[in-house]
Amino acid sequence: MLGFIKKDFALMKNNFMLLVILLVFYIAMGISGEIDISIILPFISVLVMISTFSYDDFNHWNAYASCLPDGRKNCVKAKYVATILLIFLVTTITMVLSILLSSLHTKNIDYTYILYTMVGEIFGTILVLSIMYPIIYKFGIERARIIIFIMVFGIGILGGFLLNFIDVANILNLFSFLKNDWVITLILSSLLLLYISCQISLKIQQKKEF
Amino acid sequence: MKNILEVKNLNKKYDNFELKDVSFSLPEGMIMGFIGENGAGKTTTIKALLNIIKKDSGEIQLLGRDHLKEEKQIKEEIGVVLDDMFFPEILTARDINRIMKDVYKTWDSNLFNQYLEKFLLPSNKPIKTFSKGMRKKLEIITALAHHPKLLILDEPTSGLDPIARTEVLDLFQDFIQNETCSILLSSHMTTDLEHIADYITFINQGKILLSKTKDEILEQYGIVKCREEEFQKIDPKDYIRYKKNKYQYEILIENQQEFKKKYDIKTIDKMTLDDLMILMIKGEKSC
Repeated sequence: MLGFIKKDFALMKNNFMLLVILLVFYIAMGISGEIDISIILPFISVLVMISTFSYDDFNHWNAYASCLPDGRKNCVKAKYVATILLIFLVTTITMVLSILLSSLHTKNIDYTYILYTMVGEIFGTILVLSIMYPIIYKFGIERARIIIFIMVFGIGILGGFLLNFIDVANILNLFSFLKNDWVITLILSSLLLLYISCQISLKIQQKKEF
Repeated sequence: MKNILEVKNLNKKYDNFELKDVSFSLPEGMIMGFIGENGAGKTTTIKALLNIIKKDSGEIQLLGRDHLKEEKQIKEEIGVVLDDMFFPEILTARDINRIMKDVYKTWDSNLFNQYLEKFLLPSNKPIKTFSKGMRKKLEIITALAHHPKLLILDEPTSGLDPIARTEVLDLFQDFIQNETCSILLSSHMTTDLEHIADYITFINQGKILLSKTKDEILEQYGIVKCREEEFQKIDPKDYIRYKKNKYQYEILIENQQEFKKKYDIKTIDKMTLDDLMILMIKGEKSC
């Protein structure tokens, strides 16, 4: 599987310049205090990982991967491991930058706030990717883009509609038993989501014909 | 002689095409040319062998083992070139080396780098800067650099200039020198196959029309050229196909010696694989 992870990271290198530009932009916004730098995490992670799928599809990589030892399984597993590694890397950079930028504005840095924000965004990012990956494996990146766009649009409309009838505070109260454990709960939930998503993607990939 | 590849009654059905009872075998140490016109079923057969597509029925043995039950082990020992380009374009040959080191247990970086030098392929430039021929060469040397026992190659010489093609064909011949390694090679370049193949398997509309040694085909088969009145005297059982041209008939026969004994026709031409394909596909058969 290591070879496939290396391949995904090699594919990411093309995004390196774009990432540096984005980072500089966000740091500049962060210095001026206009934006919270942590929002860079979901944006970068989704953008970079989806670009690896585009390269794979465009160059018929998955058909070739099926000819390699355990290639069908390993190329899927590697994608998920690469996702975890990338999120870990981006989270570390973002946390360091958040702390540094906060120190420019205040002497009392709110570490708890930074931690909670990061964990929340990790969960959100993983939730999005966990839904997207099986769709991409099933339909290919081009069709998946359309399906995901429709899904996001649909969820937005449906969510907006349901919010008129649902009291969000009551729902959040349902999770009050978690108290201070919700950070670890979110991290474990993220890993569980990825695991379930990976199993679905593996099933799709095993049956797929190229 | 042991078979390194054996296909029995392979079937795969699509809406508008099907492989029908495809059967052939390739002995160890041999090169098999897999020929047929576009859409005849060459790539579909190769994809079924490699389990890129799922067969409907039939038996496939690679390296003496079931291709599904021992898929992982088999794939450690085979090298593959597919008809489409498959390396992501932004990777470099150096990236391919790094990746494959962790994909194949027997990957040989030194051999890979030697091949890169031999074929003048830059190791640090993205594949997207390579010509079509250079990309094909990179795919071929990647298929060779883990010391496989069997190469399965779909159109490996397409896009190569005559010099590069000769170099690649020499490489294939070196590969089978130890007499245990074999190659299944699909190609439109029938002249290449006439040089290097030991066996020819001909597929048309999803059916195998013939699978024989190349010598048997090129030495025994022949094309009889005759006038209409001579053609009328020939028993349809004695030829495979015929084609009516403006001034004469071209008749594909299976055994020149037998034919000469039976008929008083002097003009029997030697046949090329191209002739064979054209007559088998375009020729007619009397009922």
